[in-house]
Amino acid sequence: MNGQKLLAALAGIALALSIGALVLLIEGRSPLDVYAALVALSIGDVDKAAITIKNAVPLILTGLSASLAFASGPINLGQPGQFLMGALAVTLVGITVDLPAPLMIPLLMIAAAAGGALWAGAAAVLRHVFNMSEFIVTLMLNSIADLFTAWLITIGGPLAEAGALSPRSPAITSSGRLGEIGVFNLSILVMALVAVAIWYVFHRTRPGYEWRIAGQNALFARLGGCPVDRNFFIVMLLSGALAGLAGGLLVMSGPYRFIRGIGANYAWDGVMIAVVANSALGATVLYGLFFAALQTGALGMELLTAVPSEFIQVLQAVIVLVSVASRGYLSVLLDRLTLRRLSRPSPNRT
Amino acid sequence: MGNNPTHLPSFLPRVPEFITLHQITKTFPPNVVALDGVSVSFEAGEIHAVVGENGAGKSTLMKVLYGLYRPDRGQILLGNQSVRFHSANDAIAAGVGMVHQEILLIPEYTVWQNVVLGAEPRTRWGTLDVARARGAVQAKIDAFGFNIDPDAPVGELSVAARQKVEILKLLYRDVSVLILDEPTAVLTPLEVPQLFAELRRLRAAGKTILFISHHLDEVLELSDRITVLRRGKKVDTVPAASTSKSELARMMVGRELMFTARRAAQPKGEIILRVEGVYYRDKQGVSRLRDVSLTVRAGEIVGIAGVEGNGQYELVNVLVGLEHAEAGSIFINGHDLTHASILERRRHIAFVAQDRSKLAASVSASVAENAIMTHHRLNEMFARRRWRLDMRQAGAFTEQMRKQFTVAMSRPDQPFRALSGGNQQKVILGRELLLERPFLLLDQPTRGLDVGSTEYVREQIAQQRDAGRAILLISSDLEELFSLTDRIAVMYRGAIVADVPTAQTDLEQVGAWMLQGRNQRTAQSA
Repeated sequence: MNGQKLLAALAGIALALSIGALVLLIEGRSPLDVYAALVALSIGDVDKAAITIKNAVPLILTGLSASLAFASGPINLGQPGQFLMGALAVTLVGITVDLPAPLMIPLLMIAAAAGGALWAGAAAVLRHVFNMSEFIVTLMLNSIADLFTAWLITIGGPLAEAGALSPRSPAITSSGRLGEIGVFNLSILVMALVAVAIWYVFHRTRPGYEWRIAGQNALFARLGGCPVDRNFFIVMLLSGALAGLAGGLLVMSGPYRFIRGIGANYAWDGVMIAVVANSALGATVLYGLFFAALQTGALGMELLTAVPSEFIQVLQAVIVLVSVASRGYLSVLLDRLTLRRLSRPSPNRT
Repeated sequence: MGNNPTHLPSFLPRVPEFITLHQITKTFPPNVVALDGVSVSFEAGEIHAVVGENGAGKSTLMKVLYGLYRPDRGQILLGNQSVRFHSANDAIAAGVGMVHQEILLIPEYTVWQNVVLGAEPRTRWGTLDVARARGAVQAKIDAFGFNIDPDAPVGELSVAARQKVEILKLLYRDVSVLILDEPTAVLTPLEVPQLFAELRRLRAAGKTILFISHHLDEVLELSDRITVLRRGKKVDTVPAASTSKSELARMMVGRELMFTARRAAQPKGEIILRVEGVYYRDKQGVSRLRDVSLTVRAGEIVGIAGVEGNGQYELVNVLVGLEHAEAGSIFINGHDLTHASILERRRHIAFVAQDRSKLAASVSASVAENAIMTHHRLNEMFARRRWRLDMRQAGAFTEQMRKQFTVAMSRPDQPFRALSGGNQQKVILGRELLLERPFLLLDQPTRGLDVGSTEYVREQIAQQRDAGRAILLISSDLEELFSLTDRIAVMYRGAIVADVPTAQTDLEQVGAWMLQGRNQRTAQSA
């Protein structure tokens, strides 16, 4: 079954790359040159691979945030807002508190997760009290977070850096910055630990079992004695915390401050990755790495081959369409096989 | 009106005298033999039932006849001519049509629009000839005495009426053979006689009707001849007039059904379930349960009879905690559970829900994941650990269930939806019985199961009673109630109108209470 899924995913990517090649041919470019440049510039050597994996951190964490929610029932589409609130929390704590690094870094990560969880929790509370759909509320909270943080750092705003020429906050304390081990940024280690922990909770613990079943059939879970409402709340908080952590790690490993437009599309890309991965956690990590490689390779490719980096957006869109469409086809195929099996006599009937 | 079907494409009507399936063999890769040299002949103007357990090959046989499957060996003869159907269209062109179990209609279209879709009469300009199309549909409705409005949107029709539209589609295409796969499964008991009357009229008009059914009573009532399949082979074809339910069941299962639930009267145990004066109103404010009181003792099976929609569904919901009673109280095993959470109730209730895929399982999860539901919190084997859920232990638990309840499955991590209906029910029943709760709530536990699985489930229920459980059995199958229960309570319009020892009543009396209610309640027998 899993081999079959992997095969389908690889076939989908191959098909998408061929469609991309066709686009390039029509444009009069050489697909081989372009793809070779993409590979060389994203994973061509250890330095480039380190950058690709670092760029994958926010994609994977927001992707896990979406996958965890979708697979457990809640439709959390608030990753962009939760991401910003996580980044904001790190910035606030990072410019007001100054502790030695071994204390500062965990504190900032907790702040990031709490910022995202708070934003997702607001949607969960509104659903619980007023029965408002979290789907709508999380989406609308995105705009609020976007405009709120923009106001805070606007020149003359309460969190704006004095004398700065562009909208940005002051820098966080140097003890809260994530450095490199060798060529690899520390945020990679954090992301890997978090991904493993989330996978373990989802697949090997009792709450994870209840979330999974509720994501498939909430009524069955409820009748089976699972506290479905409480689980919904916990999943929303956890999902928000993951997106918030993504925003926080980005501040801690990159610009060390909140700047206008930080993380631009990372969160939406995360949602896209969750959709392509069909909300499977392992697949989310793999697709996150793959999309990060595409995006990282894109910039250099533009310089090397004069193909605009927007081509990568076309390629991403094609991958999304192809993989989602082929999954639909695959499930039809699987259903047919199942039906066929059902219409057979069972060999060991009593 | 347009009785003359000149608008129909010329390839359509061809009336075979009879159909013979000769030595049909169908194997599904790798090596599952679904049909093994089956020969049957269907005569013009007969109602011919095909019966057998799940997986006996009934559906496969019909699909071969209808052109959905191509047989590996064997012939289909129309009259004396050998034919080969490559698609359903070939079959319809030759006069063989199938009424599908899942009904495929466009809800926004009216009845006549759905009927003519795909074979529309056209004007000389090539547009739809509305008058002729509607007229032709009306003519078929009149000719076969179907009570249906051709202008009604299909989305507003009942399931029974939609089934009629499906049949009309085939009649409009002038098929002479209609195949119906479990036609009564989607109908309420009151709609069945009407369908049967219509099928008899079709037979009188010379149509041949083939139908698949699990209900042997229906088969005996309606059909002229009956073909029994067992494990891909034909056992026999017999005239309905010269066989009996028990003979058919024996042919289907291949052995005598051993099931007898009657037993010597035993001293009853203490009261386990006590429902007192429960009222419930649904979200629209309609009163659904009115002053319902009920007791079930340990070692006793109490049956709830009633026409569907008279409060049984709401009673179940109030008992398991999906809904809360407006007034009254519920005690189980001495605990007041009137306001308890579902998990609190599940400490005392084992529950087999009516709707397997909606309430009792997650079909996309694995067998093991379905098997450990509720156990994951209440069974010491899993609840011992606070966080970790050992999936290997879950697999072992499922294995044990497979052995104990003879579930036909390959691996615990197999998807639940890959199991047959009977095996799914065995997993659900096994899960609930292994909870070993004092009170067992069973809502239509044998619905949709074949004869063998039904017998198995009933045996399990009887064993649970002998083990001292208190059992409340809701069933629309009166024979099931009479063969299993110690007492029968009849629900009518949300109230319990009768509550009598099974031995002191009979089918006719209970049937009358179900349909008309009853003025005064009998005292409960203690």
